[in-house]
Amino acid sequence: MATALQLLLNGVALGAAYALVALGFVLVLNATSAVNFAQGDLVMAGGLLAVALAPLIPLPGIVLLPVVLALMAGLGLLLAAAAYLPLRRRPPVSVFISTIAVGIILQNGASVLFGPEPRVAPPLFGDGIWRIGGVAVAEQSVAIVAVAALLIGAQQWVFGRTQLGRRLRATAQDPEMARACGVPVTAMILTTFAIGAACAGAAGLLLANRYFVTPTAGGDLILKAYIAVTVGGWGSVPGAVAGALLIALFEVGVSSVLSYPAALGALYATLLVILVVRPQGLFGEAVRRRA
Amino acid sequence: MRASLSGRLADAVLALAALALLVHAVGFASPYGLRVLTVAGVYALAAFGFQILFGLGGALSLAQGAFFGLGAYVTGILGSRYGLGFSVTFPLSLLVPLLVALPVGLAVLRLESHYFALATLGIAQVLHLLAVNAPELTGGANGLPGVPGVVLFGWAVPRGLPMAALVWSMVAVGGAVGWGLARGRLGRALTLVRDDPMAASTLGLDVGRLRLTAFAVSALFAGAAGALAVHTQRVVSPEVLEFPVMVSILTIAVVGGRGRMAGAVLGAVLLVHLPEWFRALERSYLIVYGAALLLTILLAPDGLTGLLERLFPRRARPVPDATEPPPGRKRDGEALSVEGLSKAFGGVHAVQGVSLTLRAGTITGLIGPNGSGKTTLINLISGLERPDAGTVWLAGQALTGARPDRLARAGLARSFQAAALPDGSTALEAVAAARLASDRDLAAAESHARWALDRMGVGELAARPCRDLPAASRRRVELARALARRPAVLLLDEPAAGLTDSEKADLAARLRALAAEGVALLVVEHDMGFLLPLAGWVVCLDRGRTLYEGPPEGVRSDAAVVAAYLGGGAP
Repeated sequence: MATALQLLLNGVALGAAYALVALGFVLVLNATSAVNFAQGDLVMAGGLLAVALAPLIPLPGIVLLPVVLALMAGLGLLLAAAAYLPLRRRPPVSVFISTIAVGIILQNGASVLFGPEPRVAPPLFGDGIWRIGGVAVAEQSVAIVAVAALLIGAQQWVFGRTQLGRRLRATAQDPEMARACGVPVTAMILTTFAIGAACAGAAGLLLANRYFVTPTAGGDLILKAYIAVTVGGWGSVPGAVAGALLIALFEVGVSSVLSYPAALGALYATLLVILVVRPQGLFGEAVRRRA
Repeated sequence: MRASLSGRLADAVLALAALALLVHAVGFASPYGLRVLTVAGVYALAAFGFQILFGLGGALSLAQGAFFGLGAYVTGILGSRYGLGFSVTFPLSLLVPLLVALPVGLAVLRLESHYFALATLGIAQVLHLLAVNAPELTGGANGLPGVPGVVLFGWAVPRGLPMAALVWSMVAVGGAVGWGLARGRLGRALTLVRDDPMAASTLGLDVGRLRLTAFAVSALFAGAAGALAVHTQRVVSPEVLEFPVMVSILTIAVVGGRGRMAGAVLGAVLLVHLPEWFRALERSYLIVYGAALLLTILLAPDGLTGLLERLFPRRARPVPDATEPPPGRKRDGEALSVEGLSKAFGGVHAVQGVSLTLRAGTITGLIGPNGSGKTTLINLISGLERPDAGTVWLAGQALTGARPDRLARAGLARSFQAAALPDGSTALEAVAAARLASDRDLAAAESHARWALDRMGVGELAARPCRDLPAASRRRVELARALARRPAVLLLDEPAAGLTDSEKADLAARLRALAAEGVALLVVEHDMGFLLPLAGWVVCLDRGRTLYEGPPEGVRSDAAVVAAYLGGGAP
């Protein structure tokens, strides 16, 4: 019972971080209908950024968070300017390839700067362990869940309740119409990329303490973001968060019984089955020709 | 004349570059240089397959690296563990990736583009996990050493020049095969599937089967390349299944020029040598690959071969003489009959219980206010939508819910409201696409296409790119494309939109001539002045239901039609 509770907590903490990754991915997807393949590498970049900042700011990770968020938002703007805006009138596959290219540059740049060894970022508050009725509760796990919930809540508030959020949603729904209504669409797309990259950076910081970070970590993360979004329904924001929690629980559960590679293998196998069986995946974006 | 001269100049540049490479390899290259050249050949071979699948077919597969790795492991395991020779392991290195690609392709090729990329990446990850975590078979993370070299007819091919020559002769054979496929029917059909899968299927092309063929071909090329890579390295390790291999193949294809075999060779030679030329980059050559990929996509989307062609434009191939394609099966009486057809989108009943019959040699008009379900009805008949209820009979066969390509092959052709011609191709190529499903080769398809263009009076535009054509010519080219199929039933969605009065009169005459040959036409049109004199029978839809059906003379006097269609305010 105690083990099950502990696994549940670990799974939810991992899922909260995955949720941030998937959230950033799906926001950019909705705003531009482009797949940002570099999202996983942005998470890795956020984690290594936290690792690099830690000696400069010898304070708990929670203080690093705003710095990481701001710097990653800047990186998101750069990504949009270099790999999205020049290609927005081209077929979607162009953006797919340009973000793959950016991912390669980030991954190998990181490996030149940091080397291939796994690195650890500081914990958000502390790395103590609380014992509550026989269950060992890691302080960091609770902090991850709390911080991720706070960030996702803040994002939901911005999108749901503010003028900026209305404009962002209008851009995501129909950029042409939004432009006609006076919404500065390009600025909104840039903002979305900034928010998406900031989400990735936060996830990187959260993950890089308990799970370490290596320059090649991005590949697995983009796949998981992708799976979360596929499971949750392509383009659905709450679905992406739910999907992320689901795959994290799956991963933690199967790892505890078998092994991590087995869990990963099972996850990908499940993904393939879902893709083949689920009709939304099959004809998700089929657009009917009319005019 | 100038164009043909510059085209020959481009060929000369490429031939000179190839010759220089050959002289360098035979006369001056160090053993290490030869090894690098061999690796470049291996990547060119893998990229050939990717050019067909991604370059021509537009399917961004991230499994090309995985098939490469699979071919490598088959040769590695059989050679190192079981001591089997090249003559056994090489065919198996082609066969195993093919056997994996076929079922996988059947499952994932129907997926929309990004899902397809994801699914193929998932496959690559599963294979990598297997290679690392099944050490009894694969040697785990360390891999398997001691893979034997190539033995050809009892001759052990030594490292260095002989191995390089072997790999590059395979490149020559593979390149010739790939070039033949790319320039032939398959390449043309795949390009259409990439640019407009919906148009491709309404022209009778089986999109799924074409993509599967391309996927299988790409796996064969990758498997061959993987096997040769292992024979060059003499070890196999999980590295062959890692993402950098995939990245290299993708970068080579894009930088060299998408869809071109020469681009694959050029890209492979350049990119494999890049880290050698810039020694300082050794550890970070992949950054350079990333940058090259990004810059190419941004600045020269057609890659290096595309740039070469823009600098030295080729002379357009001569337009072939017209040949009349064999006529379709002649049938008298009912060519198409539709009964009780219904379709709802969410809660909206777009079409409800519509029945109609098209007889050979007649023109039927389909009218109705905007949103009355005319286009949906045409989409249902041509298979782009599946009906919720009702039946479709075409040429005596029940084809309800059949795929568009099946319906097209049974004798149905259609046009779209917005003339859907591929911008990049010439009028001749666009029309020839309609013959790809029925003709034996491209030459036949093009001479049949020329016949159809002539029939529509636009034969002299055959060599012009579709994007340069004025609206009226586009309409005629699209009609020629439908006509080239020699259909029994022709569905036209607003063919007169945007035409002048004299162009409309010309169009009406051409449609009458088609009907006189026995084609059954269904024409959706808003322009009553054009349609009513043309049609022998008129069906009027309103909110998905048949409001009127009868001779055209009755339309203007029918109170319900007048109220619904000719003006809401009419009494």
